[in-house]
Amino acid sequence: MTEPRVVERFKKRTIWFHWFHTAAFLVLIVTGAILFFPGIGGPAAGGLTRFIHRIAVVFFVGAPIVYFILNPRMSLHFIKETLTWGKGDFDWLQAAPLYYFGGDEENMPPQGHVNTGQKMWQFIVLVTGVLFLISGFFMWFFKDVLSPGVFQWCVIVHDIAFILAFLMLLVHIYLGIIHPRMTESLRSMWDGRISKKYARNHYGKWYDEVAEDEK
Amino acid sequence: MEISRKDFLKGAAGATGLLLLQPPALALAKESQTDAGVAMLIDVTKCVNCWWCYAACKEYNQLPETIKPDLAQPPALSSNVWTTLHPVKKGDGWVSRKKACNHCTEAACVEVCPTGALSYNEMGFVQYDKEKCSGCGYCAEYCPFGVPQMEANKVTGVAIMDKCTFCHDRVTNGEQPACAAACPTGAIKFGKRAELVEEGRERVATLGKANANAVFYGDKELGGLHVMYVLDDSPEVYGLPADPEAPPASIVRDVLKWVGVGAAVAIIAGFGLNYIVAREAKMTSELPGEEYMRGKKDEKKK
Repeated sequence: MTEPRVVERFKKRTIWFHWFHTAAFLVLIVTGAILFFPGIGGPAAGGLTRFIHRIAVVFFVGAPIVYFILNPRMSLHFIKETLTWGKGDFDWLQAAPLYYFGGDEENMPPQGHVNTGQKMWQFIVLVTGVLFLISGFFMWFFKDVLSPGVFQWCVIVHDIAFILAFLMLLVHIYLGIIHPRMTESLRSMWDGRISKKYARNHYGKWYDEVAEDEK
Repeated sequence: MEISRKDFLKGAAGATGLLLLQPPALALAKESQTDAGVAMLIDVTKCVNCWWCYAACKEYNQLPETIKPDLAQPPALSSNVWTTLHPVKKGDGWVSRKKACNHCTEAACVEVCPTGALSYNEMGFVQYDKEKCSGCGYCAEYCPFGVPQMEANKVTGVAIMDKCTFCHDRVTNGEQPACAAACPTGAIKFGKRAELVEEGRERVATLGKANANAVFYGDKELGGLHVMYVLDDSPEVYGLPADPEAPPASIVRDVLKWVGVGAAVAIIAGFGLNYIVAREAKMTSELPGEEYMRGKKDEKKK
């Protein structure tokens, strides 16, 4: 029997969730940024964009809840994966600058299902998600009740979450779509599979586990 | 005129940066030069609690009358109440400060407004364009005097800010604001700012002989208010912050914007460097695209 050349990386529903969540987030970024940068605030006039922001957030928050209910084990695994940090991760952090800016891959330790950089992104998504949610909830529903000081700090928390999430999103997009060697990253989030060679090169530890399971 | 591509890009990048960040100090310096130098002086010791300013404001600005004003329960500022009294119980009677927008020279509301709905007009007053208002409520939350008001729809968040306009149309036509014109005792005075400052100082000096708490308020606060007060007691008693400032949070926001944009620029520069390194460096992990495609073909054959 010949070995299949492709390894499943993401399930179809995960891919759907990913792009749905992306779309909601992009709407939130655009409708939010025009309130953050006064120079581009023109389109906010009349309050329509603030209404759109609220519609988008229902999907942005609703999608992970639905996903969690339908796939509790996968979701918990995602959270555990994000929060579990070991020696390999710190080795990766040490080796990463030379890899990314010096082309030296010698010290890059083999990675699990996601590498340490992706883990950082997942971590930022989770943390800023919580920050967005709490500060946004208060600004939406308790505007009249909050003291001015508390409201202002809610705005600041929302701003900080936005900056962190947006900067990491830039990195995520660059590595996923533009980086010359991450060739199968985008496709893996499209049809869910990558080649064995790519899996071996980029996620050595994970590849070994998968290969072990296949035996 | 020929504009080279490089110059164009430089200009465009600079303009975008300015557009995004708009250092408030720059905008302020420009605005205050056009200040016409008129203002209002409120003297609490002359107020007789007649509510004529309140009524005149409602009538001139066509704001629906909803509440019967009462010193014990004075109407709060709202979309329909642009001026009211802040009464303070003194002995058997009440001493009131007329409360409305103070038209700051360095106004927190103008600084934080994301859409430019709030701005300084040619007389240095804080004006607003309802068509541009997004209802975000930042002005209401950042004003140290709690002046801008709005009633927001809880679900959609749609709201439009309202506040005192300094009767801009009257003032530009050589008339007094409605409240000042209605005041029977001279507790609300409209005139040249420099003269009113002089007058306020003198009045406080006179009051000060009998009352050490008398204070003149508004001359220097927030770059100079366009509504100043002669008070017979400390500002806090009359609901005025002793040392009003643009709230620290608005400064934090400005810093965050610069940090955010700076970090984004640095990160994008990093991408450029990384792209070159990743493409040129000799690495064992060859681009695996072909193998991936072969894998897909194999699957189809099955």
